[in-house]
Amino acid sequence: MENLLWRNSKWGSKLVAMAIACVALVWVAIPFLWAFNNSIKTEADTFRQGAVIPFLQFTPSLDAWKFVLSDPQALNCLFSSALVGVGTTLFVLILGTPAAYSLARFEFKRMKSRDITLWFLSQRVLPPVVVLTPFYILLAELGLIDTWLGLILLYSTFNLAFCVVIMRDIFRDVSKEVEEAARIEGASLWQIFWMIAVPLSLDGLIVTAFIVFAFCWNEALFASAVTSQHAATMPAFILASRSTRGVDFNQAAVNTLVAIAPPVIMSFFVQRYLARGLSFGAVKG
Amino acid sequence: MATAPKRQTITNHFLLNVAIVELTKVTKRYGNVLAVENFDLTTKNGEFVVLVGPSGCGKTTTMRMIAGLETVSEGEIKIGGKNVVGMIPRERDVAMVFQNYALFPHMNVFGNMSFGLRLRKLPKEKVESRVKEAATILGIAHLLDRRPKELSGGERQRVALGRAIVREPQVFLMDEPLSNIDAKLRVEMRAEIIKLQRRLGVTTFYVTHDQVEALSMGDRIVVMSKGHVQQIGTPKELYNTPANRFVAGFIGSPSMNFILTKVVEGGTLTAGDNFKIVLPPPMATALETRGLREVWLGVRPEHIRTARNGEAENAIPGVVDVVEPQGASTILQVNVGSDLKVIVQVNEQWGREAGERLRLSIPAESIHLFDPATEQQVSN
Ligand SMILES: Nc1ncnc2c1ncn2[C@@H]1O[C@H](COP(=O)(O)OP(=O)(O)OP(=O)(O)O)[C@@H](O)[C@H]1O
Ligand SMILES: [Mg+2]
Repeated sequence: MENLLWRNSKWGSKLVAMAIACVALVWVAIPFLWAFNNSIKTEADTFRQGAVIPFLQFTPSLDAWKFVLSDPQALNCLFSSALVGVGTTLFVLILGTPAAYSLARFEFKRMKSRDITLWFLSQRVLPPVVVLTPFYILLAELGLIDTWLGLILLYSTFNLAFCVVIMRDIFRDVSKEVEEAARIEGASLWQIFWMIAVPLSLDGLIVTAFIVFAFCWNEALFASAVTSQHAATMPAFILASRSTRGVDFNQAAVNTLVAIAPPVIMSFFVQRYLARGLSFGAVKG
Repeated sequence: MATAPKRQTITNHFLLNVAIVELTKVTKRYGNVLAVENFDLTTKNGEFVVLVGPSGCGKTTTMRMIAGLETVSEGEIKIGGKNVVGMIPRERDVAMVFQNYALFPHMNVFGNMSFGLRLRKLPKEKVESRVKEAATILGIAHLLDRRPKELSGGERQRVALGRAIVREPQVFLMDEPLSNIDAKLRVEMRAEIIKLQRRLGVTTFYVTHDQVEALSMGDRIVVMSKGHVQQIGTPKELYNTPANRFVAGFIGSPSMNFILTKVVEGGTLTAGDNFKIVLPPPMATALETRGLREVWLGVRPEHIRTARNGEAENAIPGVVDVVEPQGASTILQVNVGSDLKVIVQVNEQWGREAGERLRLSIPAESIHLFDPATEQQVSN
């Protein structure tokens, strides 16, 4: 389809399309290039005006990489990020998927399923900063400041709503007739959920998981507020390293690249699910 | 043919657990919508019951109530003597074949067919042998590793049937299982389903909106309209003695002719300028005792005889308006007088022409009379 469209267009419009694509590419790629370039500079070079092209204008060095990757604090933050990300994702999916399924399939007596869904959605509309202080106090009361569990709970609160709203739409796309067939075959509600609904929504589930994970991995504001040492995640670490030591651009660049890498690598794997998953059911497979 | 016991063991696996299904005053309401009202039916052993009727008449709703996918608003459903109202589908031990097959897209054919057995925790070897056997019966043994999307429509249909039969349920429910298959394959599959059902002897409910399919498949047929059962009977009964005008018009193709006639003394019916027919004495008496002044006369196109010349008795003169050759037979639209059109089917291939003058005669035994007010049959 797209190929045909492309082949049949005039060369003029092709040129425009290409130009736009190039600008977009540069726009997206420059920060990465900048970060990579800086990550192989020495600290002195990062402040030198003419040092742009490696080997020609400055001698590349792996010092910053070595420094960051041997810094126990940085490694600890990486581990925290991974743990909190995976933990939150699992927790959110375990709680949110059944909730989404029941909203998709059943009508409740007191409240319409649609209204409940809307309520879930409203949780995402609130600017997160508003709840920063209350959450801080809550976590402090529970003794969960600077713990992985605290962060996982916090992130789960934000992402649960997202997961429920998205997964509900995905579940609504599973053929009712297929589920009824399973019921006739003797499957219980849970069996239908596990053996029919979840496998048939796997694409959407994977994409949802990925988005939740990426949110946790990238979140900086709350992470900085409720963690200090033990449970600090990568974004919090990056923010902190700037404020305490001035700006070590080369190390900041390495940190950035390290922080960006996992979601980017993951997105390559998730890619094949993205097309269907991100349409959230609009396209039938 | 219809009532002969059809139980027959084909193998040890398909031991037959035939169940009688009894529906008593079954009613389903969706809010204000009355989908099915007072459905009464008791099946015989291993009977093939066809539900037929126009779209929206409540066929699917009835099936879903038997299956347990839909609750019953009123009435009682018994399967094998047990009241199943309030039971979940699993406890009812029925199998259903859906219109769109409803196969599990993420499982291969084996997975689809074995699903119910696996849920029942049957030993693995037993599951395998049963699935293989059913697949062999249906001719899909070579497809067990395929996913549904790698199958043709007919093959999917067979898998859906296979999924239903491996479990050896007490009752089969089939909701328009052939409506998504092309015409030629449909005829083949019809015969196959009948053969299969005879072989297994399991009581079967089969939904269709195609009366030809109903006539060719059913031991008994339930004709429904607007949520009500119009008539229950064998194909022969429905064709020969329709209970009311709806059934008379629905069963048979082309449809029965209905002519609103005036009752003249002596059992004579007239309509338009030219239509006149003298009823045989028993019918005339039946009309007289009811005191009807008008009556619907029904006659099937294939029962009207034609003569080119005026020798036929009780004959009605007409002019052929349209000729529709059907291959083996020909359908004629004949104008009788200025304002009456009668459809006639003649067993001739060709040789009829528009404008031709004919005399139509209607044999007494093929006349059906219906009360204009109640639409019920009043022939006797
Ligand atoms: N869930 C529902 N809510 C409200 N009305 C319904 C529902 N399901 C069916 N109906 C109504 O009940 C009536 C019977 O529907 P049903 O599906 O049984 O018809 P059908 O005979 O199977 O028709 P078709 O040949 O088109 O499949 C229809 O008027 C339909 O609109
Ligand atoms: Mg239907």
